Amino acid sequence: MIVFENVTKKFPLGNIVLENISFSVEEGEFVFLVGPSGAGKTTIIKLIQREILPTSGSIFIDEMDITDKKFSNVLTLRRNLGVIFQDFKILYDKSVFENVALSLKVLEKYSFSKIKEKVKETLAIVGLEGKEGVFPIQLSAGELQRVAIARAIIGEQKIILADEPTGNLDPKTAWEIMKIFKKIEKQKTIIFATHNTDIVNSFQRRVLVLKNGKIIKDLRQGKYEF
Amino acid sequence: MRDFLISIKRAPFQSAASFLVLFFSLFLTFFLLFSLAFFEGLLTYLETRPQIIAYFQPKTDENEIFKIRNDLSQSGKVLSIKYVSQKEAFEIYKKMNKDNPLLLEMVSEEILPPSLEIYAKKPMFLPEIAEYLKKHTSIDEVQFQKDILERLLTLTSILRKVSFSFFGYLFLMTMTVLMAVTHFKVALKKEEIELLSLLGASSFYIRKPFLKESLLMAFFASVFSFSLALLILFYFHPFLNSYLQGISGLTVNVLNFSFNVWPINWVFLLAIFFLTSFFGIVLSLLASFLATSKYLNYN
Repeated sequence: MIVFENVTKKFPLGNIVLENISFSVEEGEFVFLVGPSGAGKTTIIKLIQREILPTSGSIFIDEMDITDKKFSNVLTLRRNLGVIFQDFKILYDKSVFENVALSLKVLEKYSFSKIKEKVKETLAIVGLEGKEGVFPIQLSAGELQRVAIARAIIGEQKIILADEPTGNLDPKTAWEIMKIFKKIEKQKTIIFATHNTDIVNSFQRRVLVLKNGKIIKDLRQGKYEF
Repeated sequence: MRDFLISIKRAPFQSAASFLVLFFSLFLTFFLLFSLAFFEGLLTYLETRPQIIAYFQPKTDENEIFKIRNDLSQSGKVLSIKYVSQKEAFEIYKKMNKDNPLLLEMVSEEILPPSLEIYAKKPMFLPEIAEYLKKHTSIDEVQFQKDILERLLTLTSILRKVSFSFFGYLFLMTMTVLMAVTHFKVALKKEEIELLSLLGASSFYIRKPFLKESLLMAFFASVFSFSLALLILFYFHPFLNSYLQGISGLTVNVLNFSFNVWPINWVFLLAIFFLTSFFGIVLSLLASFLATSKYLNYN
């Protein structure tokens, strides 16, 4: 469970990105974060990863206060998060296999054969069977995003944070990507930041609408509106 | 090894800079250590020679010689004193000239002087002991190796000081260059490091490839520098051999271990190799560790 309590984030130059926001996400829930650019969607994702800390307020993940200065479990926290970035963050000097396997390798507990097996399984889920040895330069944008999704779901991640994963894709590819999310949503908690009206409307999941750093609407089975 | 080769291929100039600076430092370290040990060994050798020999007039009463010997022993400045009687001196003379009957015929026991061979506790006591001996009228001649010892003492002391300063400089120079090069390499992998950090990789996991590369670089640099140093050493071996003719061996004591420095001894050379390798590895790992620290901030 993810809980935001009166979270405010100000950047050093004084601009307020999030202002006193509170919400909670239950385990297994699928939540869309929608809002115009600069509304604070990416900041929420970065706060959950503890990539940045809030200026005030607290964030709890499974009852652990990750904003506590003494919080020392950053590795465990991040290993429980699968993050999909808008710019994919794919390593171009590594093959598809190596990119996807990174999430398992960092855990430092899986044998190479186990990693190989799990990568194969995960690539099948995202529709990239047999592309283990291919390098990112040889892939389309949609395929790159699938690699990023595979990397986010292969490990022990309980929570998937998707930061506009369809933002750089054409509508057809975006829908194919969403099919993958449909497949995995039952096993994971998903927070999905997007601008895509069609996707939000067709999924009929919870929608948090952000505007100027505030949550202006929290809609169960909502639609894209702000 | 594959990752190491890929890294060299990706940043050949940075890798060459790391290797060359390590190679140069370890090469100099090898020669500094060898020279230091060599001079220490020479000093030890000279200290084990009779440092003062006092030759008495042939008819000096033995009791007078024993009195001088006792006085010196009680002074606290003498390590040991050996009395060589006329009879013993003649035996030594006979041994030395056994192939020359003419010389043996010319000399008898009575004309050889009895002597005291004195070993001082510290070379600095030598002039004082010599002065004391010269005051005795029964002593004909006092021989001591003041100049050689003093020069060697000064040289060893200077070499030690220069070595420490030079080590300090080498350490700083190598660290700075290695850190700058590793910083650059880390910057090239900035995206990967950031990603690994977001995926929950431990600091050690992220550092591991850089540390591994440093380890291998230091190992190869020490092997190459050692090989070159050996070539040079063996090239100058005949010259050193003729220069040190008459010296059967030089030994240096380090932490209760005794190493033979001369003639060239493989155990001693390997000990220096391990020491320089250790120095190189520590230096290289430390530089990588510090250079990667900048990118491993988990808030």
